[in-house]
Amino acid sequence: MELAVWVIILPLLTAFSLGISKLYFKKIFFKLVIGSAILYLYLLILVITTSYPPKVYSIGQWGLLGINLMVDPLSALFLLIIALLFLPFIIFSMKYTKCIKHDYFIFSYLMVAGISGMVLTTDLFNLYVFMEVSSLSSCALSLYKKTDRGIEGTFKYLIMSTFGSFFILLATILTYYLTGTLNMAEISLAFEDTPFTIKSTIMAFFVFGYAIKIGLLPMHAWLPDAYEDSPIPYNVLSSGLVMKSAVYALIRGLYIMFGIDFLDESGLLTIVVFWGVITFITAHCLAFQQSNLNRLLAYSTIAQIAYIMIGLFVGTEAGLIAGSFHILNHAIMKGTLFFVVGIFNYSLAAVEIEDIKGLGYKFPILSFTFVVGSLAIVGLPPFNGFMSKWLIVEAALEAGFTYAAFFILVGTFLSLTYYLKVIVTLYTKNEKPLLIEEAGLSLKLPTIFLGSLCIVFGIVPSLPLHLITKIPTFLLDNGDYIRILIGG
Amino acid sequence: MSRLNERFTKLYKIGLVITFAYFLLVLFYDIHNLGTDRKRYLSEHYISQGVQETGATNLVASVLYDYRAFDTLGEATMILTAATVLAFLVPITKATMFGTPFKSIVNQTVKLIIPYIAVLGAYLILFGHISPGGGFVGGVVLSIIAILLTLTYSVEFSEYIFKPDQKKFIEDIGAIGFVLLGLLGIFTGSNFLSNGQANFGTGNAGEVFSAGLMPFINLMIGLKVSAGLAIIFNSLIKEK
Repeated sequence: MELAVWVIILPLLTAFSLGISKLYFKKIFFKLVIGSAILYLYLLILVITTSYPPKVYSIGQWGLLGINLMVDPLSALFLLIIALLFLPFIIFSMKYTKCIKHDYFIFSYLMVAGISGMVLTTDLFNLYVFMEVSSLSSCALSLYKKTDRGIEGTFKYLIMSTFGSFFILLATILTYYLTGTLNMAEISLAFEDTPFTIKSTIMAFFVFGYAIKIGLLPMHAWLPDAYEDSPIPYNVLSSGLVMKSAVYALIRGLYIMFGIDFLDESGLLTIVVFWGVITFITAHCLAFQQSNLNRLLAYSTIAQIAYIMIGLFVGTEAGLIAGSFHILNHAIMKGTLFFVVGIFNYSLAAVEIEDIKGLGYKFPILSFTFVVGSLAIVGLPPFNGFMSKWLIVEAALEAGFTYAAFFILVGTFLSLTYYLKVIVTLYTKNEKPLLIEEAGLSLKLPTIFLGSLCIVFGIVPSLPLHLITKIPTFLLDNGDYIRILIGG
Repeated sequence: MSRLNERFTKLYKIGLVITFAYFLLVLFYDIHNLGTDRKRYLSEHYISQGVQETGATNLVASVLYDYRAFDTLGEATMILTAATVLAFLVPITKATMFGTPFKSIVNQTVKLIIPYIAVLGAYLILFGHISPGGGFVGGVVLSIIAILLTLTYSVEFSEYIFKPDQKKFIEDIGAIGFVLLGLLGIFTGSNFLSNGQANFGTGNAGEVFSAGLMPFINLMIGLKVSAGLAIIFNSLIKEK
């Protein structure tokens, strides 16, 4: 458990050292980036394997007076996503970012440090601080190309993200004012004798703040704009990790601090499920109209995160398992799709759906990977997306949300239409001679790795489910979590 | 019609703000009146035991650099990120600046003031744990030197005295130093960022070399904040 803190320190230290290396030791810069990423992968695997039963790491040995870190199965799931995505992301970006790359990797390491901090901490204010670190560096990455559209989209992202942070900070302040502590377990105990109205108001602030970062319906408009002209490998990490880390913070906060009984009693479960249904129907309809591949995938991300929210908020054990599984699967599937689009963009500067016409014959393996990724995200049987979507439908039916289950099936057909549109374009014969800049192995390898994971997790879902089935133990009944955290 | 519409939007916005403010007022009022026996053991512990446990007579410093030093690490990282973003956004090529020529009175006065500012900043940083001040405040004061040079002379002159690369280097050294000081705790067999627990000697409260690692952490934060703010200011003023 001593290793848990290194998960945060290592990327931070790497980012700072990269800053010095950029100025004076340019030769070792890329060796440092790759070496640190490999070391980080090894570290993450060590931490994930020792994640059960959870243990507490007290920073500065202050116990309840200071800040504690804790790795429980839900955190371990996010560390697993970092482990799966980060090294492919680094390898892909090495080749993809053609011009100045130094700052790019500094920001990536800062972003990962922020996300791992969010995932490990048990302190409410520390969560906020690391969230700011990750969203600020995420903004920096999304404007990395410095084009007009990129800057406009990032400006929207920055404003909305700050707005969300404002509400989260407000809720944090109110919580501290009310309970006199920032430790989540102690807050949970102190909340037991708090009046209903005040508790639900604080909860509303939390939900509203995080809903902006997650991109639920009226607050989703920043996401496609931010993705439109950003470096495409960044989109992989953003849709796989940055958005999910907000989901993590919301789930952790609500289930631990407020408890499932209060969520049920205040009607939040019903509200969020309804909200999710509206969000994904709208996002699917909007995605159908897009001609830009990045925007299409961005709307698809909004829809998939709405599925995740439905899974996580039906309030049963099956729902939590299904939602968490979909978090992992969506990170892999969307990563595959964005990587393929990134290669098309690298080789032919393709951004519109029209531009990729006929590429199915020029890039047979990559196009096949794209087809695998898109069929997985639609939810067709042999792939991983089917598994988690099926589990979500089952959990929704079991918890009595029949309309949600029905609309998920409707949404599946909607998503099939627009992904089919892309696939058909991909395999339409095109006579135009194409200008092809060969994509190297370092671009193809991460893509094919993630694409094959889509199939592996579809055929052997017990592999990740081994970890995921332990998640509800510490969320549905927050007593265990509190006991471990307070007991030291 | 459009004028009426404009006025209506303005009223609508003002109404929204007032409603939100009123709502918050009611909420704070409610929370405040909840009861007198609310648990305040955390802040009480900091106040009553803070000096003995950390060896720092400045309670703010003891919370910032000892009890919750991990938050400070995150905040310092945020300043570094902001400085890096701004330095990255503003192109290296020269942009036009406002070159208001000042009379020699201003220039001479600034020259005269700068040593005093440097002393004040160094004092605030080094005595941060025993008197009001600390790394953040002292860093801001130190960065004023670069800002004054930029404002009275020019960006070129300011960057001739303090090269951008050097500032970036100092900032990174500060950040790395903070993390390494935290790692000292792990290497001595305790936890990350531990101070008194790892027997770094909290010393006699009130002396300069007391409170274990706190003066050194203050120094690192001071270096980092001063360089970071100087970078941020120069980048912002270079903007066209």
